[in-house]
Amino acid sequence: MSSAELSANDPSRVGIAGMGLWMPGYADVATWLSGEPDAEAVKPLGLALDRRNRRRGSQLGRSLSDALTAALAQAEVDVSTTPTVVGSAIGEAVTLVGLLSQIWRTVEPASPAAFSVSVHNAAAGLISISNKNQGFSSALSADCDTPATSLLEAVGLVATTGVPVAVVCGDEPVPTELVPADVGWQLQAGAMVLVPLDGTHSCLAQLKVTLGGQPDLSPAVFVDEAQARNPQAGMIDLITAVARGQRGVLRLDRGAGRGYCAEISEASEAPGS
Amino acid sequence: MAAPRVRPLPVTGYTNLNALGSTRTEILEALAAGRSGLAPPTESFGFETLVGEVRADLPVLTGDLAPWSTRIASMAGKLAADLEEPLRLARKRWRPERIGVFLGTSTGGAVSTEQAYRHFVAEGVLPADYNFQRQHMFSSLLHVVGELTGAKGPGWMVSTACTSSGKPLATAQRLIAADIIDAAIVGGVDTLCALTVLGFSSLQALDTQACRPFCKERSGISLGEGGALALVEREGEARVLIEGVGETSDAYHISAPHPQGRGALGAMEAAMAQAGCTADDVDHINAHGTGTQLNDGAEAAAIATLFGDRVPVVSTKGYTGHTLGAAAAIEFLFAAYVIEEGWIPPSLNSEPFDSDMGIQLNTTLLKGDFKRVLSNSFAFGGNNVSVLLRAP
Repeated sequence: MSSAELSANDPSRVGIAGMGLWMPGYADVATWLSGEPDAEAVKPLGLALDRRNRRRGSQLGRSLSDALTAALAQAEVDVSTTPTVVGSAIGEAVTLVGLLSQIWRTVEPASPAAFSVSVHNAAAGLISISNKNQGFSSALSADCDTPATSLLEAVGLVATTGVPVAVVCGDEPVPTELVPADVGWQLQAGAMVLVPLDGTHSCLAQLKVTLGGQPDLSPAVFVDEAQARNPQAGMIDLITAVARGQRGVLRLDRGAGRGYCAEISEASEAPGS
Repeated sequence: MAAPRVRPLPVTGYTNLNALGSTRTEILEALAAGRSGLAPPTESFGFETLVGEVRADLPVLTGDLAPWSTRIASMAGKLAADLEEPLRLARKRWRPERIGVFLGTSTGGAVSTEQAYRHFVAEGVLPADYNFQRQHMFSSLLHVVGELTGAKGPGWMVSTACTSSGKPLATAQRLIAADIIDAAIVGGVDTLCALTVLGFSSLQALDTQACRPFCKERSGISLGEGGALALVEREGEARVLIEGVGETSDAYHISAPHPQGRGALGAMEAAMAQAGCTADDVDHINAHGTGTQLNDGAEAAAIATLFGDRVPVVSTKGYTGHTLGAAAAIEFLFAAYVIEEGWIPPSLNSEPFDSDMGIQLNTTLLKGDFKRVLSNSFAFGGNNVSVLLRAP
């Protein structure tokens, strides 16, 4: 059965056409796979943001932007028209705590500029503004299920519109005022471009996201435990598995969520055939 | 992006909670009487403003849900309990694993974090009962609503500021079309908190009196709180149908609308395209209508471009205040009331009307046969949603 026939039978099955990531030491998928951190990858650059919005963007926004840029480039899709789903468990919590500090600690007026970018969809907005993308943009949150649910939101879009959709998930460290450092995590972002299985897009693999499943693939290995605790680690696990050519079922929440899984299969074959 | 290939989605039940009340009767009586729910805030912020606070008794979550019992979770809990009758029927029709939960919020648990942070500043430690994951994170609402409704399908929170609770309608349409779910609980909830009041004050976007949408002398918003939930199903006895949901971006500015309402216009066009109808088929518009100079000007420009002054427009922000992440859900239910009840409430505080708007603002209780109604919501980030409802 061809990919297109498969997709017609199961509209929730899509292709993965591009991937990207950003973590301290790892500014791209190839460096991450090599296992050798890049000492110069200290802060994300904000590649998908224009100069003005790069200044406005948080570290989260910049890391999302870098991961997204790589995924869009690999998929060869147009950043000015591609619908974008942004997932984050805590969003701009760092900005929010900065505002709380202004209001309650130093007792000064809230910064209007900071307030404007304290919303969960700040990064999504800055990316759409920078790239003049007047199409679909959304921002989701579901704790450790954020990667899986962001992918599902994108699957729904691909299935009903037939166009490529970008998904980018990331989280900044939780402010230590609110959560002890030993249960926090480090900055992390991962992105994918999902496409319909209609034969018009080159794919790295097929993807189906399910709630529940029998995982047979192992998650990626993080040297730093704080990276493994990031709610978006499941996205990095998925990117790692696809980039390594692994096929099978991967849990997307590292055991901390509701059990969403990714079925990864060959781009051009029916699963199990 | 082409219009999504989705079918009209039956809304088989809904429930609404805001400054006007927590029952259909309370809310309809206030709307019919032109009675605002805005009042001085319970907590003083050091300047004059009016807010739309929820005054209904809210349940305290108990048992296993006790650790999640914040004000916003209690609001969600009340809404979920009020939706139980149609939910009971839905659970007979569909497996729990095929019922999704897609909710919107903008502030989420910010009010709990705000209180905890004040304690932290004063005492040097967070309150013993504060838990970031259960009280701050948006996903806590998913847990509460999932537990209370028995819905076990996919679920997530949408947080796109003031469009947050409109986008879940589109999500449900798409996931039902993709055969991932059969039904969904959609909507949203948001609470008032000092952060938003002081934040909008810093933007000089708060009116000192009740907000005056589309009034020549409008000078800002009044904030509010509340929530609304709707049950949508693949098949079922529809109270109204969701025919189209348009989602666009302004791609212009993080907190100001495109001056000509480019994204707003696109969202309304997309909703109509999905429904396969034209502007001539729309009978009424519930506008975003916040009461700021820029927002109302941009939205009116978009409405006038598409509809001229043919269609009666109302903003209901003068009744409830701007409920931010809950506004889209609360107001698409106001649009549903118009279809079901056959009357449009008067837009409040609009005199003197800004004649530059070029739209027909409805300022009296207008009776009629309203079959198709648009409900608009626009947000920070340039995010836009327009929901098109139709009589079944």
